[in-house]
Amino acid sequence: MSFIKELSKGIIKDNPTFVLVLGMCPTLAVTTSVVNALGMGLAATFVLICSNIIISLIKNITPSKIRIPVYIVVIAAFVSIVDMVMSAYLPALHKSLGLFIPLIVVNCIILGRAEAFASKNNVFLSIADAIGMGLGFTLSLSVVATIREILGAGTWLGMRVVASNYDPMLIAILAPGAFITLGFLMALMNMLKEKK
Amino acid sequence: MKYYIKLALILFIFCAVASGILAYVNTLTASVIAERKAQEEISTREELIPGAVFTEAKTADGTSYFVANNPETKEVLGYSFISEEIGYSSTLRTMVGVDKDFNVLAIRVIDQAETPGLGANCVLESFTHQFTGMNKDNLKVDKDGGAVKSLSGATITSRAIANSIRNSILAVQSELATGVSQ
Repeated sequence: MSFIKELSKGIIKDNPTFVLVLGMCPTLAVTTSVVNALGMGLAATFVLICSNIIISLIKNITPSKIRIPVYIVVIAAFVSIVDMVMSAYLPALHKSLGLFIPLIVVNCIILGRAEAFASKNNVFLSIADAIGMGLGFTLSLSVVATIREILGAGTWLGMRVVASNYDPMLIAILAPGAFITLGFLMALMNMLKEKK
Repeated sequence: MKYYIKLALILFIFCAVASGILAYVNTLTASVIAERKAQEEISTREELIPGAVFTEAKTADGTSYFVANNPETKEVLGYSFISEEIGYSSTLRTMVGVDKDFNVLAIRVIDQAETPGLGANCVLESFTHQFTGMNKDNLKVDKDGGAVKSLSGATITSRAIANSIRNSILAVQSELATGVSQ
């Protein structure tokens, strides 16, 4: 029961992007197209699951005073291993996701969940938390990217969805478009919350 | 005092284990990655100048380029090289094929980590196909008075690619010129 609860909270109630406001750097940077958003979301989910497992396993041998540097070492080492192994044995996947792997190191969702959840809970619940947070992150990235890609390029997942004589709103693809879209979506989330 | 030394030691052990694991994975994968990259370069080169045999040569500063010959007549078809320049957020490496008069046949961006959605679009066919037929005189972005149409929002990336190709052409050309006079 609690597995489901921990899993589902990341998707809406504690959504990492819109509610916890974590991982803003990749959110702003990669949401220019839906393909990028899905790539980043899934790569981050994978790393989050693995890092939550490891952090949860070592939580009893880590002194609390140095836990943050230990987590950073674990996460950075883990991301580097994923990068090297993927590049060597899964070149096709690395070509499409490789760009996002180094970005994951600076994704504070991973450190945030290690600190807030995995260091206090068992492996089983940590996995649930990681899957939920990862899916929530992927979902919110896709929403932001959908808006930006349709407005800024007139396509969705690379397919043309608006008439070809549409002159794209370039600002939606550029950095200001990321802030504007994110701001409106957060306002919408807060509005829906207050209504409840 | 003792407590802090203990903390430092524990952190040290974590770091040592992590570096050990990383070093081990690196020894396993480094050769595989290098081999795959070399294979990719060979196949890309063959796509840029089809049906040629390549011989490696070096310019004065030690960067290598390839001479493409017709396998039967041994006549020089063109040259291929990798142009490098720092773009907006990464080093751009572009493989270029030119004919014997140094007009661009085709280019392929083989390594980049530019901004997704903007500079990263430099790998797309819609950007790279415009380089075909260009030469050292018009290999500049439109803002610099050349013929290369910049990617929207990524002039720095486009300029780095155009300039790096032009510089490589000049380098190989001057190398060949000195080679002839000797």
